Amino acid sequence: MANRRWRGLPQQGRSEEYYEELARIINLCQSISTKSDDPFLVDIPQKLTILKRLLPKWKLIDDLLMDAEAIRELSLMVKLQSDWVKRRASGLFIDPFLVEVKIKLLSKEALAYSVLSSWHPLVAMDQLTPERLEGALDYWNSILPLSQRVKEEAADQTASDRTVDIAELVRLRFISERTFNEDIRQIRSRLVESAKDGPIDYWKFVLAPTYEETVMNAYRLSFLVSKGLANLIINPIEETILVEPADGVENRRGGRSVVISISYEKWMSMIKETERA
Amino acid sequence: MSEDASLAKKIRKAAQLIMYQHHRLPGVKGYELRKYIGRDFMKIVSLLQRKLDDLGLEVKIVYADGLEHPNPTEEELEQARFYVISKAPLQMGDASLSGWRIDTLAVFAATVAYLTSKQGRAPRRDVEELLQEKFPDWKIDQDLNRFIRRGYLDEDQNCVLFIGWRTRVEIDRKRLLDMIAGSSTDKGEPESGSKI
Repeated sequence: MANRRWRGLPQQGRSEEYYEELARIINLCQSISTKSDDPFLVDIPQKLTILKRLLPKWKLIDDLLMDAEAIRELSLMVKLQSDWVKRRASGLFIDPFLVEVKIKLLSKEALAYSVLSSWHPLVAMDQLTPERLEGALDYWNSILPLSQRVKEEAADQTASDRTVDIAELVRLRFISERTFNEDIRQIRSRLVESAKDGPIDYWKFVLAPTYEETVMNAYRLSFLVSKGLANLIINPIEETILVEPADGVENRRGGRSVVISISYEKWMSMIKETERA
Repeated sequence: MSEDASLAKKIRKAAQLIMYQHHRLPGVKGYELRKYIGRDFMKIVSLLQRKLDDLGLEVKIVYADGLEHPNPTEEELEQARFYVISKAPLQMGDASLSGWRIDTLAVFAATVAYLTSKQGRAPRRDVEELLQEKFPDWKIDQDLNRFIRRGYLDEDQNCVLFIGWRTRVEIDRKRLLDMIAGSSTDKGEPESGSKI
């Protein structure tokens, strides 16, 4: 919008001279704004008088939009005039023509010298904290070689996001049904043992020495919850999640999904907390 | 904690805030200094300035409008950005320190002087036409893009060039204009900011 030019004159049958006057005002303002010419070249009161005279002639919405744009351009000129005065007062004002001539006359060496004499280099420091360095080391240790990553990324291109259930994992021979059932029995026994004095913290229960094992524990526990063999007690105010064994009555109706994310960073911080404790 | 120790701690904090690079840009805004140091942050900045004097450095304040404010208001100071710069300008022998060749420095000088004389902005085409008197097209294009990448210039979608944040910080534009226009004095003062 800022650089639109009102070249063509619209609306057949309407007097073109009115539009020409309006277009001239808009184009003059835009030209001065783009080229950084002297904004005082625009006689604001005179242009406003013209707009006032033309206003009763505008009937269509396009006419009024054009009129509004002219007002906007004139108000921008007032701002530029204000900036111009401030700039002159700041001592930065110099005749652009003089600068242009001098630049053409000066040698490359003289120009280079002038900028070096005015150059006060910035002093700034980059920083690397021990925590950031530690994070980088963990990342380096966990990252796969590029050749393997390329293979994985290529395989991912054809895959799409979807849920994989136990039956499918068994079918894909990712896990065996017998092993999985055994895992579930074990984790239920552990839950019953751990929560004999009441519900226990979810994170304490799933946390394991490795990230993979922690995720597997969370996965097995989610299976127990789905089967009605465990209950989650979530307190959104205190942001705590407790878990307790349940009576084993499977309840698929009226349930709700709970998303608990386990990122590598969260696992790392929990492991550190545990070590400190 | 004694008052001296408290002041020393605040000065160290101010130095860290101003000199360490946060995200992409160095320097720190006035309101951030107030948040971490307190309402008397300008007093702390003045004390930091005294320490920096010995190292040949100084604190430079660049106001939001890019102009000088001899008596800034509290609001103007909060919106301003604080940097540390070298007190003395580079010498001709230091030209290689800038990492730029002499002709690139000449392109830079001409561009900044021209833009400053044109209220800090001009169409790229006009700048290129001026530079074509002395430099080949490929060099002009390469150098202007380099200045934009490094923050010395800005360009909008209409191909209008502006003075960039880094030029406001590092270049004493009044002195540059004085030198180019032939009325240089050794007492050039900064124009787009204040030194403590």
